[in-house]
Amino acid sequence: MQITFWGVRGSYPVPGAATVRYGGQTSCVEARTASGETVIVDAGTGMRSLGNKLATEANGQPRPYHVLLSHVHWDHIQGLPFFSPAYTPGTRISVYALLTAANELDQVIGGITRHEFFPMPLEAVPANFDFHQVEPGVDFVIGAFHITPIALNHPFGSVGYRIDADGQSWAYVADTAPFDQVLHKQHFLSGPEPLSADDKVALGAMRAALVERLKGVDTVVYDTHFLPEEYARFPHYGHSTPDQALDICVEAGVRCLVLYHHAPAHSDEQMDQIAAAYLAKGALRGISVLTSFEGMTIPIGAPT
Amino acid sequence: MKLRFWGVRGSFAMSGRDYLRYGGNTTSIELVTAAGERLLVDLGTGATELAKQLMTTEFAKGAGKLPILLTHTHLDHIQGLPFFTPFFIKGNEIQIMGADPISGLSLEATLQNQLSPHYSPLNGLENLAAGVTIKSFVPGTNLTLPGFSVATAAFPHGSMWTTAFRIAADGKIVTLLTDVEYPSPDEPLPEAIALATGADLVVHDAMHADRDYELRKGWGHSPARAGVVVAERARARRLALFHHSPDATDDMIDDVVARTSASTPVAVFAAAEGNYLDI
Repeated sequence: MQITFWGVRGSYPVPGAATVRYGGQTSCVEARTASGETVIVDAGTGMRSLGNKLATEANGQPRPYHVLLSHVHWDHIQGLPFFSPAYTPGTRISVYALLTAANELDQVIGGITRHEFFPMPLEAVPANFDFHQVEPGVDFVIGAFHITPIALNHPFGSVGYRIDADGQSWAYVADTAPFDQVLHKQHFLSGPEPLSADDKVALGAMRAALVERLKGVDTVVYDTHFLPEEYARFPHYGHSTPDQALDICVEAGVRCLVLYHHAPAHSDEQMDQIAAAYLAKGALRGISVLTSFEGMTIPIGAPT
Repeated sequence: MKLRFWGVRGSFAMSGRDYLRYGGNTTSIELVTAAGERLLVDLGTGATELAKQLMTTEFAKGAGKLPILLTHTHLDHIQGLPFFTPFFIKGNEIQIMGADPISGLSLEATLQNQLSPHYSPLNGLENLAAGVTIKSFVPGTNLTLPGFSVATAAFPHGSMWTTAFRIAADGKIVTLLTDVEYPSPDEPLPEAIALATGADLVVHDAMHADRDYELRKGWGHSPARAGVVVAERARARRLALFHHSPDATDDMIDDVVARTSASTPVAVFAAAEGNYLDI
């Protein structure tokens, strides 16, 4: 199995000279087995380029596509209406997501293509869509892929995925805050709120379950949006630092951590410094640390 | 009056080396009078770059005032809203004005839905710290803003309508006609010509190269030549091609400008992110 990064940025796309090397498009990763089966994780703006590549591969033939969503914030779904295979009649697109509010998932996804936001409503798109609700702790299978959803700590909920195929394993852990200062629930946070005893228990359980699921995983792609000094100012934004990701991954015995969901304000030069600093920090703790960039493909190693 | 394009791209923000000269951010245009009054049109991703500049001014202290006009609410024209940092500073006063997108759905409800908890951790306009007011107007209305007088008109845009603006300040006129498609690009609607009459600058939708237009007729956008016809008939001084296709690389836009310039006496250029232009 290998994974390719089509969008590595968090929050919103950032074109321009400062981001040409790491890329400006938002969250989208493609996993591919040795036999060519694929799943797509997150449908950020990187999904447009991925769609163009998959459309070329499909050569006009309708194919099935599977899209695992971590959550439905704009930066994780904005690419879906621009996924060109959706405009080939007969194409089937299966979307998987955590249901976090009262509305049905198809209405949430359909909502972004209503008249006021996009020229073509979902019902008019030639592809057929089906929507599946995922639940942390309930595994499922998509072709050659065995998928394990993992609850994460993000406003209104988010879910990570452990993905096993070809006897190999990687995990997508975004978006998530760390599991100490803030417990994200179903309301707006203008800043950190005091944690109740139950909140602390819930955070501890979420963290323990994440570490448990990551045991035996070769490569973990992790939301490392913030540098520590940035996190200190915005602990309630729902994102982690590379240090927090390192702690989790070292504890789980992961071979390789991939930094991901880069802050839009981080220029290529800053990303170079982050990449070098955490490569060194990782080496001291016996873990390989890569920094994702648009177009990066990495092989997933054998399970440890 | 000065004008700066912060985002010129249509539909989709494009990053990468092929989009550096004209820029990959989606639509956002800033206008500034000689006296320093400011008006912003559209909140595409380009607005996030303007926001960084504003946050070095009184907006950082919560003492900024800004009127914003929206052409329409397709995502490429509003996707910068949740990341426009002056919204997060208490004391700033920001007014967003635009037409209701469809009958029975207000502008405010639409922007509220953009910030719904599904889509955004902001969870609603009420959580923006600045004083934000949303005001719907009916296209055709004239708006008087500090330093600017603005005429508005509705034009068909695929399945909905978009608002075009004729903006007067300092004795100069800028006409913005983006996301417009006429029944024929060679016969622009008379309302477009009226709105652009005598303009110092016409900024016009040029999503498609002329040769690509036939395949994309009805999608709500114009080929470059539609702007030329408007500018010629309206006796406008300059024409900026705008709302570049996400597939149009810098070199392709150069080619469109060269072909278009050769076809008309009007001064033609392609809108690009970058410096303030004197109108």
